[in-house]
Parts: sequence; C-alpha cells; structure tokens
Amino acid sequence: MSEENAKEVKQLEAEVKLLQAEIRALQQQRQDSWENVSFQFRGQMQDALAFVCGRTQDLEETVVSRLKEEVEELEKDLKLQTQMNGISLNSCITKTLPSRGPEVVQQVCLSGRSSELVFQVEFQLSELKDGSRTERRIRDLNLVLDSSDLQSLSSFLSRVEETRDLLLFFRTIRSFSEKCDDRTRTFQHFQEKFPSIVSLPKGCGSEVMTLNHPELPGCGFFIHWCLDVSTGGAVTPKIQLLSKIPEKALQMFPGQPAGGGAAEAFQSLLRILGPEAAMESIIRAVSLSERDELSD
Amino acid sequence: MEGASTRGVLSHLSLLEVQARSRGSQVPQQPSRVKELKAKVEALTSQRDQLKAELQIHKKLQKLRAPVDGEDEEMDVDSESSELFHLMARHSELTDLLHAHNLIGGYDAITTNRGKSMCFSLATQYEGVYLDTYNLELNLKPNVRISRHNIPPFIPLNSLAEQSDLQTDVRAFLATVSQHLNAFAGRRQQLKLVKEQHKSVEVMESNLLCSILVLMFTVPKKKTPLLCMLEYTDHTRCLPTQVHLNCEDELLPDSPKWKKNCSLLMEVPVHRALTAIKKASDIV
Repeated sequence: MSEENAKEVKQLEAEVKLLQAEIRALQQQRQDSWENVSFQFRGQMQDALAFVCGRTQDLEETVVSRLKEEVEELEKDLKLQTQMNGISLNSCITKTLPSRGPEVVQQVCLSGRSSELVFQVEFQLSELKDGSRTERRIRDLNLVLDSSDLQSLSSFLSRVEETRDLLLFFRTIRSFSEKCDDRTRTFQHFQEKFPSIVSLPKGCGSEVMTLNHPELPGCGFFIHWCLDVSTGGAVTPKIQLLSKIPEKALQMFPGQPAGGGAAEAFQSLLRILGPEAAMESIIRAVSLSERDELSD
Repeated sequence: MEGASTRGVLSHLSLLEVQARSRGSQVPQQPSRVKELKAKVEALTSQRDQLKAELQIHKKLQKLRAPVDGEDEEMDVDSESSELFHLMARHSELTDLLHAHNLIGGYDAITTNRGKSMCFSLATQYEGVYLDTYNLELNLKPNVRISRHNIPPFIPLNSLAEQSDLQTDVRAFLATVSQHLNAFAGRRQQLKLVKEQHKSVEVMESNLLCSILVLMFTVPKKKTPLLCMLEYTDHTRCLPTQVHLNCEDELLPDSPKWKKNCSLLMEVPVHRALTAIKKASDIV
C-alpha cells in the first residue's frame, strides 16, 4: 500500500515537472511571438480571446456581434484620422526589441501614402518611464520614398534621418503632396481648356507643361514648375518659363522679349497675377490669333 | 513451539500495531499528497492547454494579417469561428494603424457634442523626442470657431485662423498651428539643451515664445565677455533670422572667425553651434 502510494507520488511529481517545463517553453514561445507581432487585446478583443480559448460561457453570436460593432467603430475612426491627417497608412508592424534596463524599445515599420507619394518608414521607438511621465524618443529613422520628385526631397530626407524628426517628415510630405496635387490640377485644367496648345508629355503629375502653337512647330514654350523643399521642411513652388525659339526667328526680332526677356517677364507676371493667371496669359499669348477657340 | 507461536503471535501483533500506528500517521498524509499533486497536475494541464490555445490563436491571427502566398489556402481556421478570427485580425490591425497615426503626429480627431464640434491633438517633437501635446476644440456650426484650447497665449491663434481661412480649410489651419507649436517647442528645447550642455555659456535673457535669446560667452585668453543676441522673427522656424554680437573689443564681432561663427549660428541649432564654436576654442 505505502509502496504503491509512494510510486504514485513519484509519478505525479514527475508529471508536474514535465508540465512545468512544457509551460515554461510555451511561455517563452508566446513571449517571442508576441514580441514579433504584438497584438493589443483590449475591450471586445479580450472577450473574443476568452471565447476562442474556451474560457467563457458567452455565445459565439454575441461575441462576434459585439466585436463586429467595435471593429466598425475602429474603421470609422481610422477613416476620420486618414482624412484629417492627409496620410493613409496601410501597414504598421511593431516588434519589441530585447532591451537592457527600464527602457522599452520597439521597432516600428510603417508604410502608406500621402496622395501620390508612397513611403515606407522604419524607426525605433524607445519609451522610458520617468516618474509620472513617459519620455518617448525616436531612434534610427529610415525613410524610403517613391516619387518622381525625389530629387527635390533628397536633402530634406537626409536631414530628417539625421535629426530623427518624424513629425516634421510627415508635416512636410503632406504639404509637399498637397502642392503636387495643386500643380497636377492646374496643368490638367489648362490642358482641358486649351487642348490644341497645351500638352503634358510626361503626364499630368510631371513638372513640365509644354505650350506649342499648332502652326509653329519650331517654337515652343515650357512651364517648369518644381517644388523646392528646404532642409527645414519648407515647401516652396518655383515656376519658370523656358522657351525654344529658332535662332533665325530671334535674329529677325532682336527687340522682342521672346528670348531671354520672356523668362523675366513671366516672373513679373507671376508676382502680379499669381501662378494660374500668369500661365493663362502666356498660353493666350502663344495661341496668337485663335481668339474664337479660346473665348470659351 | 507454543512459546514460539506465542512469540509469533505477539510479534505479529506488535508488527500489526506498528503498521497500524504508522498507517495512522501515514494514511491521512499520503492520499492528501496524492490529491495535492493530482490537483496540481490538473491545474498545470489546463494552464498548458490555455497557452497552447493562445499560441495557436496568435499564429492564426498573424497569418490572417500577413498571409504568406499560397499558405492562406491551407489555413486550418475552423469555418465556424473563422468570422471571429477575421474580425480579431482586423481589430488588431486597426488598433495598430490608429496607434501609428498617433506616432506620426496625427491630429487624433474626435467628433464631440453630437457632431457639432471636433477635438484635435497637436503633438510636438524636436530631434526625435516627443514633447508637449496641445489640444484644440472647434465648433463647426453655424460657422467654424475655436471654442476651447490649451495652446499658449503667445501663439496668435486668431490671426492664424484668419490667415489660413479656417472656415473653408480646417486642415490648413491645423497644419499652420502645428508648425508654430513645433517651432516653439523646438526653440524651447534648444534653450533647455543650451543650459544643460553649455554651463560656461550664460543665458542672459529669453522670452516665453523663445523668439529672443541673449547669451553671454567668454572669449578665451583675455576672458573678454561677448554678448550674443539671437532673434527668431520667423516663428515657424527653429533657426534665428538674425544674430548680433556685442563686445568691448569692437573689432572682435567683425573678425572673420566670428563672422563664420555668426553664420553657423544662423544655420545650425544653437546648442549644436555652441559645441562647434567651443571645439574651435573661440569661447570658453
């Protein structure tokens, strides 16, 4: 009897040890995978988790409908933030990095777009509790942008990577893409209004609008509209008029402002009339006698 | 023989007695130990199953959120609870995206007062450090009006509202206010860093908006005091628009060395510029 008992105790003790080891391994595994992709189990998510783990008496329909309601709320919220912030995020992956000391460090990888500008941003976010407040800090900022205007942004981007000013980056790309959209809208507007004169050889999102009179194929004017981004993040449009006029024509009319003078004259027009009106007056000038077609 | 048997009986009895006594103390002990262990095994088993289930769920959610090509077909999500799993995956994705909007300085817009007002948060950051966040409430009807806020009074909210046409473009207004707040937070942080990193430089004067900063340097060798005034007239920027030097030695501010230092102070945040100037031994 006592022998049997002792045997059973030993067996059970061994079982306990085995289970304990198994649990330790699982806990480690859970920690690792949670660190890889940390899910937030808040609100209805907690109930849903309890349900799939079989820890609750709730009916599946109830759990699903309550979670659905919350998901719909979140969808609405995200839509509002996207609209207000002018930035649409399509993925955010967070990994918790092993850290020394009281600091919590996360590796964050974001991707999204602001209008036509596609970006991917990676950084480390460190959080350090200091009394009642938490100090949050960005480290190792890495930016990848996909844009045709990359050149005007490059010095700004390297400065931001250096200073780790994540908020400045997003403020700037928002205003940059808003100004790109302005340009696209203006170019498209002129192309639709003056189809025989205005062409956009590199698409409506490009920097160049070409003006040609159909009967004067040798002469051309170009509106070059680029966006200057300072290292401090200020976005300023720079609009220039360039011309391509045959030498012969220039020699015939040496006093006319068609050559070098046109560019300067256009700058004064810009200052006085603003970009749209200045461009329109140039287009009207290039179109010469086609008044009928133009007076729409 | 009899004696032996008596002894035998006696010894047997005494053996029984010992056994009974020992059992008396063991009997209640051993089963309780077994019971205890059995209960423990049961508890541990359920804990293990719980963990296994959680891990399984985590794996499923992870797959749902980032399906690897070709693998989504063979996913073993039971069809009955697959709706729940999809909702859970979307829930966690949305939570992460909303968190990301907050990290990138989003306005955290909230509709309040049954759609009649909206609240916004304006975050500030300088060189990777998140600083104060300010809040602003706008009444939307009948026309857009700032109702409540905790933005410092020296930020000219009303004139910014006029300039950026608050009625038609709330976003442009928020962008402008945010720019002003970030520039202010940046200048204030620079001042804090100057005080922390450059003990030998005396801050003689600064204002609340941190748009004026007067510093006292000591030029080595003769220990000449040098007064440096930084003016930040563009309140949307963290860099000064004017640097002015004042010194007993009237030739010093015009020396090429100090002309260079002045342009450095115009181009580089003041705490960094001071580090460079100190390194060149132009100040103590």
